[in-house]
Amino acid sequence: MKVANVQAGHDLADPRAATWTSIAHESVSLAPVPLRNQPNEYIRTKWADRPYGETPSASVAAASDGERIYLLLEWEDDPRPNGEFQDGAAVLFSSGNSDGLATLGTPTSPMTLWYWEDRRPAPLVLQSSGPGVFRKQGNGNLAAQAGLRDGRWSVVLSGPAAIPPDAKVGVAVWNGTNEERAGLAAVSREWLPLELS
Amino acid sequence: MTTAKSSGSVAKKLRQIAWVFDLNKCIGCQTCSVACKVLWTRDEGEQHQWWMSVNTMPGLGTPKNWQEMGGGIDPETGKPRPGHQPTREEFGGGFDFNYDEVFYGGTAGKAHLEPQGPRENRWAMNWDEDQGAGEWPNSYYFYLPRMCNHCTNAVCVDACPTGALQKRPDDGLVLRDEEICMGDRFCMEACPYKKISFNYERHVAQQCIGCFPRIEAGVAPACVRQCPGRAVFVGYLDDEEGPVHRLVEEWGIALPLLAEAGTGPNVYYVPPLAPSRLNEDMSIDYDTPRIPPEYLESLFGPAVHGALAKLKGEMETVRNGGSSEMLKTLIAYKWKELLGPFTVDPAELTPNGNGVGA
Repeated sequence: MKVANVQAGHDLADPRAATWTSIAHESVSLAPVPLRNQPNEYIRTKWADRPYGETPSASVAAASDGERIYLLLEWEDDPRPNGEFQDGAAVLFSSGNSDGLATLGTPTSPMTLWYWEDRRPAPLVLQSSGPGVFRKQGNGNLAAQAGLRDGRWSVVLSGPAAIPPDAKVGVAVWNGTNEERAGLAAVSREWLPLELS
Repeated sequence: MTTAKSSGSVAKKLRQIAWVFDLNKCIGCQTCSVACKVLWTRDEGEQHQWWMSVNTMPGLGTPKNWQEMGGGIDPETGKPRPGHQPTREEFGGGFDFNYDEVFYGGTAGKAHLEPQGPRENRWAMNWDEDQGAGEWPNSYYFYLPRMCNHCTNAVCVDACPTGALQKRPDDGLVLRDEEICMGDRFCMEACPYKKISFNYERHVAQQCIGCFPRIEAGVAPACVRQCPGRAVFVGYLDDEEGPVHRLVEEWGIALPLLAEAGTGPNVYYVPPLAPSRLNEDMSIDYDTPRIPPEYLESLFGPAVHGALAKLKGEMETVRNGGSSEMLKTLIAYKWKELLGPFTVDPAELTPNGNGVGA
């Protein structure tokens, strides 16, 4: 996926910015994190007969002004009202080792997540060693703006542009209406290489 | 006391702090609940939380209808039993009140303090207090103080994907690292007692911490120390000379709540004796207690009948001029006997003196 080069003074932090329409969007197919990989018996038992991670796809677009990288994630919202849990999404960064995308990382190949959740005051950097096996790493100078319009979430996650040249990203989405959280996510089936200008 | 090996070190002794509530003495004054709240749940997002609560039984309690919310371990399969995460509405409470209107609104006393917001489905910690069950003149109820049971088989620890919850080997307290907790709330689903709350401001789950900073300074938990009725004991289960061990293990009259949930709770209860039923002609039926024995069995298991019989027997012995070590223990003539080894007076702690800050 090409990371568009933009000049300072842009408005790409806003998912509604018109500038995004001129930046290439990639469609990413999602699949549920496998039940057998969920980290404990309680979760595997509770969700044994309950579907999750059924958000079918998300679209991703990326831009950078040299200091920060902006990633726009969009996906169809579940139209049913949320209860105790809110919708969430994350950009996944591989640690170099491509293993573990389907399980949000492994103990030997953890990945970094830029994590956004509706109604959390700020996005989080998470280190993920498996489905829901998260460690908060603070805010990491991330910012997020989100909007829900016509049944579609648009979220811009932005952070420091210190991305390695061979970086690959993935996407994860949590449907809060379905009480999805931790490892109960829809995650991209393949890594998306970032082509930095 | 059992032992556990940690890699590369000497085997560590596992110890367990336990509580015993004497339901014959609890008057439902909620001093324990408030002692806990004043200490621990006054910060943002904690307004509605009651880590210690005293419910009238029979009753729906807190959260509302918690006994029907699942969790624990399925006794037939040994597998975790899926549970319901209590909602904010089911906990209720944490009301906003119309203070400005009452105190400064100039309504000349016509306005009164009341919770704001819709009245429908309103609930709070002790909303059904003193309602009980039964029909006059044989209505009945008792008070049941409830807190995190710091269970031996803590299903909340097993259900947490991040490892934020851990059970300490030194004292058996189940504690949470809020820096790790992601607010996933599987712990709330898994707990059969529904004594874990959620902080919607800080996005972490929270529950009774066993007053561990006090424990570490030799001070008894606030709920125990503040109880004016001398209704609650605390101590190590393996301390054979302590009242907790004697009431639970030696005399067997302090029983776990809902033991069939399989989590091995470490809060025990001396079951309540009840007044006798009145017959239609108002004569007393001395053979039938007003609290149905089958109801008590549903809470404390079949051992409750023997425990009540033993209690009655010891009381009879004393009435007839005899002596009872068990009753002396329950009466707690000396208040400090309730506190186990945690007899330090918190008023005597100084900053950096006993290792505890101001």
